Amino acid sequence: MHEALMATALVLLITMSVGLVRVVIGPTPADRMMGAQLIGTTGIGVLLLLAFALELPALIDVALVFGLLAAIAVVAFTRRRVGDDQS
Amino acid sequence: MVQNPVTIVARLLLFLGLWTLLAGFEPASWIIGVPAVLLATWTHGRLTRASGPALKLGGLLVFIAYFLWQSVRGGVDVAWRILRPRMRIAPGLQTYRIRLSDPAARVLFLDCVSLLPGSLGADMREGVISVHAIDASLDLAPELEELETRIAAIFGLTLEASRHA
Amino acid sequence: MMAAWLEVLSIVLIALGAFFYATGTIGLLRLPDLYSRLHALTKADNLGLGLLILGLLPWAADLFQALKLILIWVLVLMAGATGAHLIAKRALRGDGEDEALR
Repeated sequence: MHEALMATALVLLITMSVGLVRVVIGPTPADRMMGAQLIGTTGIGVLLLLAFALELPALIDVALVFGLLAAIAVVAFTRRRVGDDQS
Repeated sequence: MVQNPVTIVARLLLFLGLWTLLAGFEPASWIIGVPAVLLATWTHGRLTRASGPALKLGGLLVFIAYFLWQSVRGGVDVAWRILRPRMRIAPGLQTYRIRLSDPAARVLFLDCVSLLPGSLGADMREGVISVHAIDASLDLAPELEELETRIAAIFGLTLEASRHA
Repeated sequence: MMAAWLEVLSIVLIALGAFFYATGTIGLLRLPDLYSRLHALTKADNLGLGLLILGLLPWAADLFQALKLILIWVLVLMAGATGAHLIAKRALRGDGEDEALR
């Protein structure tokens, strides 16, 4: 069972890495921001699988914090306005 | 703003349960837990209007089942559209006049729209929401109306007469 | 010892979850516009995580751990739906930085 969880975690890591191509090619900042959404969902999936595969329940808490931070990152990004840097 | 003590106690118990869920039964955790729970209860009280609608348990349970089913439908629908060699998409925007007037119910509606098959809640201005459709040749209004009716049932609200744009 | 059928069910659910994650990524790369990509990302990935957590539930050490897993799904669901809405709204109103960069 642990091997199956490990293998799935690896598959998810690959899909996440491939998804990050969108962050690189953009074209708009909003497209790049989807990387945070992607890590928020896929990253949590990977962490949860590892928590059970490696028998490290603390990783579940890491996943929880990850989810909260990804949400805050998206909100912070969408609140940015043109000219914020100048002021 | 005077609030019903029963709702305050219920809220307190909810946050106590949430903390226990997050931190477990470790006694030392309550050094942070007790202030956090009290603060959360207070903040929640400040942010909620005293006259807000009460949740209906029956409506909520029915809604959760409906929501789970719609999530599956939404995921399968979008997967099917993407995985075909020629993607079945015709993206476009549709507008829908929202019949819910309560702000909390409206937020829930807008969030849930994104999990219905083929629709994405994009914007809300003066009671009209813009919904992005992955296939604009389909009319989303019937699905949105059903979602709205079910959300109204959670809050025990009645909908204004249908008059969508 | 866990029943064999439960173990099989759990693996099937986790594999299905991974399938939807992969679909979300394919959509993210294949779809032609921002809004459609958001469709794929929110719906497919949220279903993927939901199935994955459902598959992990039988392995939870106790009821608390199981509830915590469900709590994570609910949080990600709310964050995903709200995030998709905010990104779409920002793009629709053109009030972010994108306009200035064009």
